[in-house]
Amino acid sequence: MNTSKKLKALVQTIFAAVIAAMVIGGLASTVCCAGPDSTSAPTNSVTPKATAPEATTTVVKSRLTGAELYSMHCNRCHPERYPTERTSAQWKTIMLHMQVRANIPTEQARLILQYLQENSGR
Amino acid sequence: MKTRRLIFALVAAGCALWLTFPLRATAQVSQADFNALKETVQKLVEQVQGLQQTNIAAQQTHEKDVEQLQELQARLAETRQMATNAEQKSIAAAQTQPLPRGPIDEATVNHNFMIMGDAEVQYARTSGQHGGFALADFAPIFLYRGGENILFEAGFDTTIQNNATNGPGYTTTFDLSFAQLDYVMNDYVTLCAGDLLLPLGTYTERGAGWLNKIPDDPLAVDALIPGSGVGAELRGAIPIGDAGKFINYSVYGVNGPGSADGTGNAGALDLGGNVGVRSDGVTANLHSDPSGGARLGLFLPFKPHYDLELGISGQSGEWDNAGSQLWSAGVFDAALHLGPSFEAKGEYIRTRYGSDDLGQISQEGWFVQAGYKLAGLNLELPAINNLELVGRYDALHDGLGTSTQRYTVGCVYYITNTLLFESDYEFLHSNDPSQADQLMLQLSYGF
Repeated sequence: MNTSKKLKALVQTIFAAVIAAMVIGGLASTVCCAGPDSTSAPTNSVTPKATAPEATTTVVKSRLTGAELYSMHCNRCHPERYPTERTSAQWKTIMLHMQVRANIPTEQARLILQYLQENSGR
Repeated sequence: MKTRRLIFALVAAGCALWLTFPLRATAQVSQADFNALKETVQKLVEQVQGLQQTNIAAQQTHEKDVEQLQELQARLAETRQMATNAEQKSIAAAQTQPLPRGPIDEATVNHNFMIMGDAEVQYARTSGQHGGFALADFAPIFLYRGGENILFEAGFDTTIQNNATNGPGYTTTFDLSFAQLDYVMNDYVTLCAGDLLLPLGTYTERGAGWLNKIPDDPLAVDALIPGSGVGAELRGAIPIGDAGKFINYSVYGVNGPGSADGTGNAGALDLGGNVGVRSDGVTANLHSDPSGGARLGLFLPFKPHYDLELGISGQSGEWDNAGSQLWSAGVFDAALHLGPSFEAKGEYIRTRYGSDDLGQISQEGWFVQAGYKLAGLNLELPAINNLELVGRYDALHDGLGTSTQRYTVGCVYYITNTLLFESDYEFLHSNDPSQADQLMLQLSYGF
């Protein structure tokens, strides 16, 4: 019985240590990556073909782009897919599916779809 | 008359002299001059003959040139004729055939069919048992988009399982996970109908197959809440500002849980049953009233990859055939992303249902899990960068006397962005002796 309790305590300690390490790592990563470049495009995305003019970007800084929304929403559940993996029509179908499944606002879904179609396989 | 005779005589004399003197002059040319003259004449004759031969050759060449010219003219005429014929044929073809179709712009195609989904292969070794490979899941999702606002989607699960102990062969099951018709009514409301994935928390809707980083589902999700239900749902999202924040909601009505044997006994609760068609073929709910449920969520992004999502959901309705017992569930869910490398999420689930034999039964369970991708350490080591450490703590109290706690530690190796190798070890602590520690290895592919 004592052995079982000791083992249980050891497992819980290891588990707590692993979780704590991940949380600390995540927070450290947050601090380290919190520079101005951390709002860059998604990890697996390609460079968008359509880029907004400099002045326009400055004016509507608070409005998220399709690429940013894509990285924000898709990465919540799964690794991001490359826009070139699907055709324009397939992205349209997938985005309708994802809009319903993840309950994404229609306007944001439209921006994501536009980004994906502009950078789609064909 | 005399004069004429005189003139005639003089003329005759003149002629005689003219004939006489030249003969004398000719007779005076020397032999040498004659030979020289003769030689000159011969040379001239030879030159004339040479010129004649040259002329003949030139004439022959000219004749050949003329022949070639005529031949070329003939060919030119043929070519012109062919060109004329081709032009006439093309004009005739253009007049008789429709214009060729232009390339299709796929973005404008008003319908599309495609298959998505995932597949997993597992190896599991439970403490005290033999380890074994298992084709855990092949789960295609069929999507058919009809126009801009209509989507039909259906997901399936294919599994195999050994037949009865010591019996031969195996059984293949092909289950319908969900099948629903979605109609986007406007920017804020979507109507869904069919066999719906229920929005009790977010795991049920977003945790299937390769989406989850740990092969096993949380204990409480599997045991306490239904995965799907047959009914109709209104759902949507309302944006707050331009920074990505929004509120989302779901309101639905489904047949609700049923009773496995028709009674209201506690052990008969069947969360996955009651699909609207009874075993005798009659179309009917197993009890008189459907269940109702809803979820309200709040999504708060700080910047890309940094966001917090909170949600609260619940469902309530009759479950026994007599309709005298209620089953209710409440779920609180949260998910946090801090950068592209760190994720934490969890759910707290509490259910309560009445029974004929044991009275009110309260159940609860929860899970919290975290993952950290080592790419966040910026070590620039490919093997390390593809690795994600994961951990989960989950617990279940079934209200019938069984309590289980489980600690899971493991890792995910991203072979590609869609092919994952997951491995974990689960430490279980339960008063149910059938529960044991387990090692799980899984290859997951999302498509």
